[in-house]
Amino acid sequence: MTLAVARRAEATALFAAQGVPTRRVEDWKYSDLKSALGEAGIGAQVAQWHVTDLPAGVEQFDLSQANPPGWVIDNFARGTGNVMSAASLALSVGGVALRVPKGAAIADLLKLDFTGPGHVRALLVLEAGASLTLVEGVGLSEFRNVGFEIALGEGAALDHVRVSPADADAVLVEEAHVRLAAGAQYRAHFASFGSRLSRMELEIALEGAKAQAHLSGVSVLDGKRHSDVTTRMIHAVEDTLSTQLFKHVAGGNAKAVYQGKVTVAKGANGSDSNQSAKALLLGEAAEADLKPELEIFADDVKCAHGAAVGDLDADSLFYLRARGIPEAEARGLLLHAFLEDAVAQIANMDQRELVRTELLTALKVIA
Amino acid sequence: MSSVAQQETKKQVADIGEKYKYGFVTDIEMDMAPRGLSEDTVRFISAKKGEPEWMLEWRLGAFRRWLTMKEPKWARVHYPDIDYQNAYYYAAPKNTPLKQSLDEVDPKLLETYKKLGIPLHEQMALAGVAVDAVFDSVSVATTFKGKLNEAGVIFCPISEAIRDYPELVQKYLGSVVPVTDNFFATLNAAVFSDGTFVYVPKGVRCPMELSTYFRINASETGQFERTIIIADEGSYVSYLEGCTAPKRDENQLHAAVVELVALDNAEIKYSTVQNWYPGDENGLGGIFNFVTKRGDCRGVKSKISWTQVETGAALTWKYPSCILRGEGSVGEFYSIAIANNYQQADTGTKMIHLGANTKSRIISKGISAGKAQNTYRGLVSVYGKAKNARNYTQCDSLLIGGECGAHTVPYIESRNPTARIEHEATTSKIAEDQLFYCLARGIPQDEAVSLIVNGFCREVLQQLPMEFAVEAQKLVGISLEGSVG
Repeated sequence: MTLAVARRAEATALFAAQGVPTRRVEDWKYSDLKSALGEAGIGAQVAQWHVTDLPAGVEQFDLSQANPPGWVIDNFARGTGNVMSAASLALSVGGVALRVPKGAAIADLLKLDFTGPGHVRALLVLEAGASLTLVEGVGLSEFRNVGFEIALGEGAALDHVRVSPADADAVLVEEAHVRLAAGAQYRAHFASFGSRLSRMELEIALEGAKAQAHLSGVSVLDGKRHSDVTTRMIHAVEDTLSTQLFKHVAGGNAKAVYQGKVTVAKGANGSDSNQSAKALLLGEAAEADLKPELEIFADDVKCAHGAAVGDLDADSLFYLRARGIPEAEARGLLLHAFLEDAVAQIANMDQRELVRTELLTALKVIA
Repeated sequence: MSSVAQQETKKQVADIGEKYKYGFVTDIEMDMAPRGLSEDTVRFISAKKGEPEWMLEWRLGAFRRWLTMKEPKWARVHYPDIDYQNAYYYAAPKNTPLKQSLDEVDPKLLETYKKLGIPLHEQMALAGVAVDAVFDSVSVATTFKGKLNEAGVIFCPISEAIRDYPELVQKYLGSVVPVTDNFFATLNAAVFSDGTFVYVPKGVRCPMELSTYFRINASETGQFERTIIIADEGSYVSYLEGCTAPKRDENQLHAAVVELVALDNAEIKYSTVQNWYPGDENGLGGIFNFVTKRGDCRGVKSKISWTQVETGAALTWKYPSCILRGEGSVGEFYSIAIANNYQQADTGTKMIHLGANTKSRIISKGISAGKAQNTYRGLVSVYGKAKNARNYTQCDSLLIGGECGAHTVPYIESRNPTARIEHEATTSKIAEDQLFYCLARGIPQDEAVSLIVNGFCREVLQQLPMEFAVEAQKLVGISLEGSVG
């Protein structure tokens, strides 16, 4: 696996040059990883992964083993531009690679969990025409860094649902790098309940015509919890489509962060991109930081973004109370309504219901 | 840094420099400081301006600080490294010989004046032609000064203010843009040689629009301008900077600082039209414009409104901002930034909401054509005590042709649950059907583009004072000539 060795060496050099990000690094302005980690630093442990009931038709390979198959070599460690992704590649020898062969439509959910402290890598390849629903579980740990790569072949379709649980002490970082060939579809939902520092970073490259990505997410944060979703959507070729819808509710001293950058490359005409990020602040000391960014090098495009921060609409609250609904309940209803359109993006009904239930539980505490 | 204009300046300066053989520190009769930047240059400028000791100390402090600073590189602008030791920092404007008639003026320049509809006598003044009785600038200025004196408004070059109103200058200079603020502002603090000082006393509504154009001795735009405008309690002032006519300034590096202070219930309206030399069609030459503009709404219910039309300069680095400190204060930013050929513009605003019930509004229209790059970079930040703060931001980009870029980088930070912030942005191109519609009705292509783009920026153009608005509209069209087809 000489190519992988070379890529690992590159990643090691990159991480050595940049180090653990601090607030002074523009991309990490709102998430100070270095101070969240404190003395302990990022360590060099290898975190664990676990697949529950591997669905029939999905191939699995343990990255800590020798002699990887060709599809792993072809797709492993392709993107190392991101500093934390480079760290996971440099420091982890473990991880998992999964493949759905050409044309296979997998009906069962693929449940992949990451647990324990340290760094871990994952690779998921959907070959042309394949389809799958991935449910990613996030186990609590003082610090974990996951470097995830996803490659979607022509016309492949992946539904990805990730739920990051609440924990005041955990520092959870993940970078997903998703590549889409022509006609491929990536639909992802990220629900986050916040931890000491929680960062989900996505780089999505729409590399084939008619490729499309639809991202949505909700976060409900309380106490001193933090949640950061950072996305980078690259429309590399023409006629690509992307949508993003993120909703945050922050109470207490919590901090909700959304940074989204949409790039339309030169010549990527017919690109269509929509980005929306909204936050409701419920706590006197809560904070929301939104940065929806556009970078456009082609003229025949449709790009729009919107962002808003505020509190619950007083008129709506009054309307509900005038109809005899107690204030707490009315607030709960409005908060649920605020989050619901992002939750409704989850295609799998069972997963949608699961996320919704967790949201409602979290809202009860915060509202 | 190799424009023809630059070469000419160097030659001119070198010629004069050779005549001078006495060491410049002791002799302040000389009209220019030698090449390079040192404490001696700063002392020279200060001596030349006849400044008091405290002012010199302030400049030297800035200079020493500047030596420790690094040039910021985060903006989306690319330019060759600037050799700060290879530039001239002070040259008195009187060296420019007056032309005897308009015939001596570059015909290209005259053509543009005509398109803008600038009256003949103004054309002469702008192009540096000796003015005759038709346009007596002195008498205009005298009537104008009389009116201001009556109202008690101070409106003078900053060097005069340092001499005549030292206590006011000491109180406000550097109070909005501190000496240590940023690389270019610190450089300005060390070497500024020109600028405007305005003080509007309590309760006075300034009887006219103030404009640098009418200020005596201000026909030459300084390379390092420093402007301070103070609106005392309950006063109002509207200030116009620049003009729509193209400015063939020969200094390539510009670093201006503008400080605005609005006290209780005061309002300042600051309008800029910037049309400096943008470089030629191949991106050669042109002005590098690094500007720090900031307004401090210190008083309750004070208001500061920035309006800018940026069409010139090869490179623009400019973020007019408002610090909304006073309760109920209001900040506004209306901007049109046009970048054509190889121009690069990185411009936007910062609205810092510190006080309760503060409001801000941002309307930004960016137009890119040719191979230009146009970036809106903005920050809306609501601090914990800014109860009920409100912001509305709209930034729209228009692309003309597939070779240019339009970028939007908004930062939105809220730390107060009662604050409400809204941000919208769109990117589009000139619609073929709109263009076709105009062409089909016999409107020539350039005029059609001008019409459509003017429609796109209408909300901002409306904010300009009347006399500016008409010319600015034409300027929008002229800046984009030949960009379609």
